[in-house]
Amino acid sequence: MKKIVLAAAFAALAAAPALAQTYPTKPITMIVPFAAGGPTDIIARIVAEPMSRTLGQTVIIENVAGAGGTTGITRGAGAAADGYTLMMGHMGTHGAAPALYPNLKYNPATDFAPVGVAAGTPIIIVGKKDHPANNLKEFIDWAKKQGDKSNHAHAGVGSVSHSTGILLNSIIGTKPTFIPYTGTGPALNDMMSGQVDYMTDQIVNLVGQINAGTVKAFAIATPARSPALPNLPTTREAGLDGYEVSAWNAVFAPKGTPADVVAKLEAALNAAIDDAGAKKRLDDLGAVAPAGAERGSAALQKLVESEVARWTPVLKAAMAASK
Amino acid sequence: MDLMNNLALGFGVAFTVQNLFLCFIGCMIGTLVGVLPGVGPVATIAMLLPITFGLDPTGALIMLAGIYYGAQYGGSTTAILVNIPGEATSVVTTLDGHQMAKQGRAGAALGIAALGSFFAGCVATVFIAAMGKPLTKLAQLFGPAEYFSLMVMGLVFSTVLARGSIFKALLMVFLGLLLATVGTDLETGQERMTLGIQQLSDGVDFAPLAMGIFGFAEIIRNLESPEARDVVRGKIGKLMPSWAEIKQSTPPVLRGTFIGGLLGILPGNGAVLGPFASYTIEKKIAKDSSRFGKGAIEGVAGPEAANNAGAQTAFIPLLTLGIPPNAVMALMVGAMTIHGIIPGPQVMTKNPDLFWGMIASMWIGNAMLVIINLPLVGMWVKLLKVPYRLMFPAILIFCCIGIYSINNSVEDVYFTGFFALVGYVLIKLGFEPAPMLLGFVLGKLMEEKLRQALILSRGSFMTFVERPVSGVLLAIAVIMLVVALLPSINKKRDAVFQE
Amino acid sequence: MTDTDTPAPERSSAGSYRLTEDIAAGLFLFFVSAFFIWKAWELPLGSLRAMGPGMLPMSISVILGVGGFLLALSAFVKGGNIITMPHVRGLFFILGGIVLFGLCIRSLGLVVAGPVSMIFASFATNEVRPTEAVIFACAMTAFCIILFKYALGLPIPVVAFI
Repeated sequence: MKKIVLAAAFAALAAAPALAQTYPTKPITMIVPFAAGGPTDIIARIVAEPMSRTLGQTVIIENVAGAGGTTGITRGAGAAADGYTLMMGHMGTHGAAPALYPNLKYNPATDFAPVGVAAGTPIIIVGKKDHPANNLKEFIDWAKKQGDKSNHAHAGVGSVSHSTGILLNSIIGTKPTFIPYTGTGPALNDMMSGQVDYMTDQIVNLVGQINAGTVKAFAIATPARSPALPNLPTTREAGLDGYEVSAWNAVFAPKGTPADVVAKLEAALNAAIDDAGAKKRLDDLGAVAPAGAERGSAALQKLVESEVARWTPVLKAAMAASK
Repeated sequence: MDLMNNLALGFGVAFTVQNLFLCFIGCMIGTLVGVLPGVGPVATIAMLLPITFGLDPTGALIMLAGIYYGAQYGGSTTAILVNIPGEATSVVTTLDGHQMAKQGRAGAALGIAALGSFFAGCVATVFIAAMGKPLTKLAQLFGPAEYFSLMVMGLVFSTVLARGSIFKALLMVFLGLLLATVGTDLETGQERMTLGIQQLSDGVDFAPLAMGIFGFAEIIRNLESPEARDVVRGKIGKLMPSWAEIKQSTPPVLRGTFIGGLLGILPGNGAVLGPFASYTIEKKIAKDSSRFGKGAIEGVAGPEAANNAGAQTAFIPLLTLGIPPNAVMALMVGAMTIHGIIPGPQVMTKNPDLFWGMIASMWIGNAMLVIINLPLVGMWVKLLKVPYRLMFPAILIFCCIGIYSINNSVEDVYFTGFFALVGYVLIKLGFEPAPMLLGFVLGKLMEEKLRQALILSRGSFMTFVERPVSGVLLAIAVIMLVVALLPSINKKRDAVFQE
Repeated sequence: MTDTDTPAPERSSAGSYRLTEDIAAGLFLFFVSAFFIWKAWELPLGSLRAMGPGMLPMSISVILGVGGFLLALSAFVKGGNIITMPHVRGLFFILGGIVLFGLCIRSLGLVVAGPVSMIFASFATNEVRPTEAVIFACAMTAFCIILFKYALGLPIPVVAFI
């Protein structure tokens, strides 16, 4: 795979030698397909700053929110492939979206020039503070026994919390009653007052409440524990196999972006992830920077393909059942 | 006493040169973006986030908070001068505020808005400091059923916004509710009435709707009757409210502060109801309710106080629960996390200097805003003297840029044009847009909460009556409706009191 | 909205066939409601206890339609203000200005979109002075670029065509 990328880079280098040397000559726009202030937006802003320094041109964040992030990605996919329009896609836009949006105007695997994963935020399973279960095993038993008597909150159809929640239910084999909310905030609020029983969401949204004891955390769906919550067991430790999910965020360029430009961006992104200031900010969020093998264009391409394959059957089945 | 110690700590933090400067910068930027239609605090805070990377968290948050409440002050200026509500909470201010401007009383309207807001801000700050923690417990009593009942109460208010026919106002509320149903269905994710337009999948946005229906429709109407508009411009009255006007406004400001501050505590964006509730109360208890909608100063003073009190107390759910009640607060959560502060119930104990420093800075910020805004009144009023042939293209370009910058979306600009047409048609047909906007704002929340409540109760409507808080709210709504439908009772009572 | 400065509108007597404000208003709502009913037709209604996506749009549309019909009917019986002609010039140039802004902003940038939309919109009134409008539009655009792009740092395209 590396060879192919190198060859492509070389070919593009030969075709347009001027571009590689001069790029970038003007500010670069990075489309964030969500409203400002959310986890993806924050990660984009954190990496954009050191990337700007490396590239010598400002990386401007443009928020284009709508339809679970697909509005912004659709616009980015159709932008000029000159390296001046990038997108911060994530697990939803490049993994779950094909199953959730039948009229999706892009193909996550073929319509982009992947640049690399920026950071992932782990998923946590939480319940209300007086939830009868005290660990993941008890929780699974409880969920199976309760069936549709249990109330499962999620932050809206198409959100990370929705997709990861559906996957959890399908793995433990329970069919709860879904309570839809329009964001993590309102869902958490009703969980804190005990109206709903459990949900799954990104660590950054939950860690404050978990530490304060207003909600009860059962497990974190990553291979290793998070330094932000060192006492919280992973799903595998707690005895649940197959539920390892992360809301990864990754930088994409439109299809056809010259390979040498992509290579330059990839290097700038990796430098940004390693930048001390950015690293500290990402750590504070509970976000996980990609390890060496998970970085870069080729790894991201593989990740997108595997994520689409993973989410499509689960979500399609769940969506069909709800209609 | 604990409170005193805490406040001393807070003022110690807020009164450093750096934090005072940041607070001032925030207030200035906030006023500016509040005045500019459309731009608003969300876009601005997002843009400024990276700039705050270099600051310490308290300073950064003090500045960002300054932008937020500064924008509340600035927003009322636009509402009063050009009839464009930047946010749902300033819709009410357009009703009497713009009428006052048309009568040459823009100075009085702007002055009372600033003074009322300042008072409300001060009271709300003390309120947060003293009662923040216990009040969150109260807020936790609000589940979906309670919010739904609260919204029903809000809808009853809407009939009072009407200047003319109550029946036509009700129809406008329903039109607003209908518009609010456009977009992706909450439960199934199915697209509803989006006409295949991708931008509509998240529903109609408030800003294009409000700007089209209020701002642009008003421009076209002004162009239609140049006489009315020129008569207005001839008379520019005093720059400040008179002593009599201030006295007249004092009770409404007190009531507005109380009601707005209380609703602001609700984590489900209760603050949005504050100005509407205040306006309703003022109009209901006024001796001569027919003055409302024609430039009654109470109709500006009360809602503006409610708006600002709500804007301040909206920090309570953020700081004590970690739940952001609106889009700006969601952004503040982002700002806190970027600075390594985890929002949640522990902020108060883990970061006391941040918590109390922010509260103290709010008081300082409010004082700064009055100092910034009162001298500006003269400038704003002079702006009204610009010939209309230059004024309206300037409003047009500001609105277009503002609308575009919210989502960087051209479609939003076209939507604004479409709603301008709709708004003009509505004016021609003798409809008033304010009740429709209230219906629209409440509609989104209402359907969401109704369906959540019914799923939780597994389909039993009794949940709305059985839950005590919800039941009380519904009862109030019913009583209000009866009072609204029987205006004759009011009149008779007033007559009795006068004798 | 009450306009004390404009002349009192012409009134129609009861049962007249002239179009009054409220008859037109009722018909307008009736057609809006019909449009929404048509669009909401395919959405599952669900039941009152378990509402589907179509329940609220459909029921609100029906209420609105009935209300519109009643409004028109009562206006026909009672009479009312005769509807006035729309201000076509204002509508055309204001809406045109908005559309021109939308067409130009992404492809050409604010440098073009600003003056073009403002100059076009200026013609919405017969008081327009073309030279003044052009100068004012260019000056305002320059001001807006400084304000929005540089002071506030919004990602708005200024010169997109280079």
